[in-house]
Amino acid sequence: MTGISTRDMSSFDEAQNKKSQPDWRTYFSFSTNHKVIGIQYLVLSFIFFVFGGLLAMVIRGELITPESDLVDRSLFNGLFTMHGTVMIFLWTIPALVGLANYLVPLMIGARDMAFPLLNAIAFWLIPVTGILMLSGFLLPSGTAQAGWWSYPPVSLQNPTGHFINGEFIWLLGVVVSGVSSIMGAVNIVTTILRMRAPGMTPFRTPIFVWTVLSAQLLQLYCLPALTAAGILLLFDLSFGTAFVNPSTGGDPIIYQHLFWFYSHPAVYVMALPVFGIFSEIIPAFARKPLFGYKGVAISSISIAALGTLVWAHHMFTSGTPDWMRMMFMFSTMCVAIPTGIKVFAWTATVWNGKLRLETPMLFALGAVVMFVFAGITGVMLASVPIDIHVSNTYFVVGHFHYVIFCTVTMGIFAGIYFWFPKMTGRMYSESWGKLHFWLTFIAANLTFFPMHLVGLQGMVRRISSYDPQYTGWNIVASLGGFLLGVSTIPFILNMVASWTVGKQAPANPWRATGLEWTTSSPPPPENFETIPVVTSTPYGYGKSEPLTVSET
Amino acid sequence: MKILRIFILIAIAVAISVTSFWMGQQSYSWFPSQATTAAKLVDDLFCFLVTLSSFIFFGVIGALLYSIVFSRANRLDTTDGPAIEGNTTVEIVWTVIPVVLIIWIAAYSYDVYRQMGILSPMQVVHLHHPLETEPAYAAGMNEKPDSAEEIGVVAKQWAWSFHYPGRDVTSTELHLPVDRRIRLLMQSEDVIHGFFVPDFRLKQDIIPKRTINFEFTPIRVGKYRLNDSQFSGTYFAAMQADVYVESADVYNQWLDQAANREPVPASNQAASEHIEQPDKLIQSGWKVHPPAPPPVVNHPS
Amino acid sequence: MDVLITSDELTPTAIDAQAINEKGNGMFGMSVFLLSESIVFLSFFATYIMLRTSTPDWYPAGVSGLELLKPTINTVILVSSSGVIYLAERALDRNQIMKFRVLLLTTALMGTYFLYGQAVEWSSLTFGLTTGSFGSTFYLLTGFHGLHVFTGLLLQLMVLIRSLTPDHATPESHFGFSATSLFWHFVDIIWIILFALVYLWR
Ligand code: HEA
Ligand code: HEA
Ligand code: CUA
Ligand SMILES: [Cu+2]
Repeated sequence: MTGISTRDMSSFDEAQNKKSQPDWRTYFSFSTNHKVIGIQYLVLSFIFFVFGGLLAMVIRGELITPESDLVDRSLFNGLFTMHGTVMIFLWTIPALVGLANYLVPLMIGARDMAFPLLNAIAFWLIPVTGILMLSGFLLPSGTAQAGWWSYPPVSLQNPTGHFINGEFIWLLGVVVSGVSSIMGAVNIVTTILRMRAPGMTPFRTPIFVWTVLSAQLLQLYCLPALTAAGILLLFDLSFGTAFVNPSTGGDPIIYQHLFWFYSHPAVYVMALPVFGIFSEIIPAFARKPLFGYKGVAISSISIAALGTLVWAHHMFTSGTPDWMRMMFMFSTMCVAIPTGIKVFAWTATVWNGKLRLETPMLFALGAVVMFVFAGITGVMLASVPIDIHVSNTYFVVGHFHYVIFCTVTMGIFAGIYFWFPKMTGRMYSESWGKLHFWLTFIAANLTFFPMHLVGLQGMVRRISSYDPQYTGWNIVASLGGFLLGVSTIPFILNMVASWTVGKQAPANPWRATGLEWTTSSPPPPENFETIPVVTSTPYGYGKSEPLTVSET
Repeated sequence: MKILRIFILIAIAVAISVTSFWMGQQSYSWFPSQATTAAKLVDDLFCFLVTLSSFIFFGVIGALLYSIVFSRANRLDTTDGPAIEGNTTVEIVWTVIPVVLIIWIAAYSYDVYRQMGILSPMQVVHLHHPLETEPAYAAGMNEKPDSAEEIGVVAKQWAWSFHYPGRDVTSTELHLPVDRRIRLLMQSEDVIHGFFVPDFRLKQDIIPKRTINFEFTPIRVGKYRLNDSQFSGTYFAAMQADVYVESADVYNQWLDQAANREPVPASNQAASEHIEQPDKLIQSGWKVHPPAPPPVVNHPS
Repeated sequence: MDVLITSDELTPTAIDAQAINEKGNGMFGMSVFLLSESIVFLSFFATYIMLRTSTPDWYPAGVSGLELLKPTINTVILVSSSGVIYLAERALDRNQIMKFRVLLLTTALMGTYFLYGQAVEWSSLTFGLTTGSFGSTFYLLTGFHGLHVFTGLLLQLMVLIRSLTPDHATPESHFGFSATSLFWHFVDIIWIILFALVYLWR
């Protein structure tokens, strides 16, 4: 690959950049270009992240003292419900769909997604979801307050008696977001399976594409269960049917099964593409091919497959019989095996490499470190006797913020930094990026580590007041949380400033391999003038094989 | 140079093992007191998990840190690292080791769970017949039948009450005789609640329209706190109760005393907060589900 | 590195082949989608089975079961309409446009009759949506399926109208019709499972 480095390192002129950089107004229009849609997804979901984060700031503000003294209890319940939903359905999932939208066609050598119009519609349903969910704050009933699980029968209690209440529009929001996700998934799966450039055999496809495929298959075949659960709940709530409402003869446990049949796989929908991001960044900054590429590719699919068989580990303490607890304990633990293969592969890639710790690499390595921790607490949770003690305590909250914030969100940051030059044609500021990393890394550990300790001692989650013996660690977590909020500021400033006045980026600033780097920065609207013909694996670091025919 | 590196690696391996072992021993101090037989089992299992996990965690992190320290590229060095794409032996090894570890963890967890014997077999059989109330005759795995003390637990928004069928006593405090098998028959009147006492390491959701048989043996005299562990609505956080584990004499004495008292409605925090909202900086004004009428008990706390 | 590319894969024909490939994307996407949609039904079926096996008195007071005769006739009509639409497909492949239109119309009429039969059945029932889990699941399953039948009818109508304009129904290009036909078979298979679960299971 050394051949391309010198050619692509030469920065190219402003005029070229202007030409392929779409006018800012396009981003507010109904565009069907996958690159525009990708950026629309990323920017919009980041706005939701800031909103969800601000809700978390109020939660941490309330929890800095043991008494319930900042917000009233119903508002607190609304806050964590909306925080969880916004972060999952409006930040992580759409942000990753955005990255996939931008990158997948470029990585597989296609000119656009398979169904550009469907793509645009799927995107525009996201703001609809957001408006639906957040409008709960304006209703007399308030927002949904039953947690993001929305378990019946609590979620069916409707104190205002109004037909349109917070829970109702929350459910509508979930269903609309489900429709959007299914549209997106049909599109992405079709694109990946049918539109790869000639020569891009399955085992020449970048890992990011593999992971996106695995994640989107999960969306296709698990998400409908959530839609079904939402419909059942909506009927019980609004029409008095007897599906999941025990007082009319329904069974609330059915809801739990349907909900987790999707919402467990949902965590891999979020985690898998991030594993893909790591698998792209780490080789590029270690200057070595991804170690055990095939194993990593296959383990992505295995994680998705296994991930559909573990859902009841969220229900160990519900009315779950012994055999079910044991079966799901074992299946859950099995997920550690393919995941371990990935972690070891990244470690081996770094081993003996020529490391360069630029911002994307810092975020990727930091996130991997925290993921190993999070995965291990996950295995502890999978052990039924341990879970019986820590389920529904802050230990779980700690576990999942280590995955969902410290791994997934930080992984998304890594990806944004890595492909920022490609997307915008400009370089971000390295020193601000590093500042962002160190603040985030330190603050995230300050915030989420103490949660494990209070969880082991028995502090229950979803409470606005707690016993005084937990105060100390909660103060640390709250202060860490505020610092985490502050840590986002350098990121926002960096992005905005670099996008508008940043240095011109060359086509391939990282000397990375992969088809997306053979295009200009930003790529022309049609991506490739002629469809490339692929001749080797995507991680040719240290080798002198050409990636495409034109390079020979 | 090569020898130095090997030496460093060995030193790291030893340090990791020692640290992991130490972490495992530390783990006991992260828990509240061990007040049931189950607690001991759980803590030992956790110690094992912490030791093993620390070893894995520090092992992976050690390898990463080692590379970060020793394999950095020179500023001007634009060459690539060695083009190693994989190594089948290594890959097989790192697949097999986790498989073995997982089987080990799962087997140990299974064994501990079996010894805990918290769900009595009847509950499992009748799980899918929610409308039937189950006869409570089957006992835990290691106990002779009928030796267990049976206590009814009723959860509702947002109060606990406990019923002692032998003496027809109802209380808002849970009193338990020490060193005896306890069988709770748990019911909920409205939404799902959760029975959770951190010092017991035990937790079980209470599903409306079902009776859940839940068994354990307290082994340590003391006062503990019962939390609702399954989110149950507005005043969820306030749904707590005191638990007293006491010697048989004290326990019977308490039962005698309570049996002689007239039942009165118990006060509870949710109800009082509902009537008079405490001062808050931010009031949402959202209408909330009213608390259920307070339980009528012989012994209000 | 194993070079798997053969020389003819590198010629422009390979790239054209890919462009032709893209034509199949529509049907591929449709199949992927229908598999996904079937999970919604599967979830409802699972709910139905779980509720039915755990509810002591499944039928509400005064209801002893569902009437079988009319629903069976209905089923026969819906299932055979799948055959009719298949014949329509064959006709289109042979460019017999008139026959194709007649057969498609027949399918639509049979589907309409099915919905009509369903409506008659609904209106004759003594229980409602809120009559316990029995009523709730019955109306949810038949209603949700009926909605799909209705969607299928709309699609058929659209294809029929478009087939009146030139170039919209040719043996080579009829994605709209193929998708409709696939959807109709899907609706049919779902009905067979539904019928077995709701009507035949005693
Ligand atoms: C991106 C999100 C994500 C990811 C990837 C995971 C990954 C895992 N999670 Fe987590 N989890 C959540 C998000 C996630 N989780 C969320 C959001 C919740 C709570 C939802 C809510 O209640 O609101 C939750 C809750 C949750 C529970 C329920 C707890 C409870 O409520 O009582 C459990 C229980 O089993 C669990 C287990 C696991 C396991 C075993 C993994 C595994 O996949 C981890 C595998 C990884 C490793 C193990 C590390 C790397 C492996 C090695 C280095 C190999 C060697 C290791 C060993 C041999 C151990 N998780
Ligand atoms: C992707 C998912 C995601 C992410 C990124 C986060 C991020 C954060 N979460 Fe979240 N969380 C969930 C998903 C997520 N969470 C879920 C699913 C639940 C469960 C809900 C339920 O129980 O139903 C939950 C619950 C949850 C709880 C438990 C509530 C309870 O049970 O009572 C807490 C408590 O501390 C918490 C805290 C935080 C904090 C401090 C952050 C921080 O990382 C946020 C940092 C970001 C910002 C702050 C925004 C940007 C900041 C600025 C633009 C600057 C302005 C800053 C200041 C004003 C200081 N979360
Ligand atoms: Cu009370 Cu849950
Ligand atoms: Cu899970």
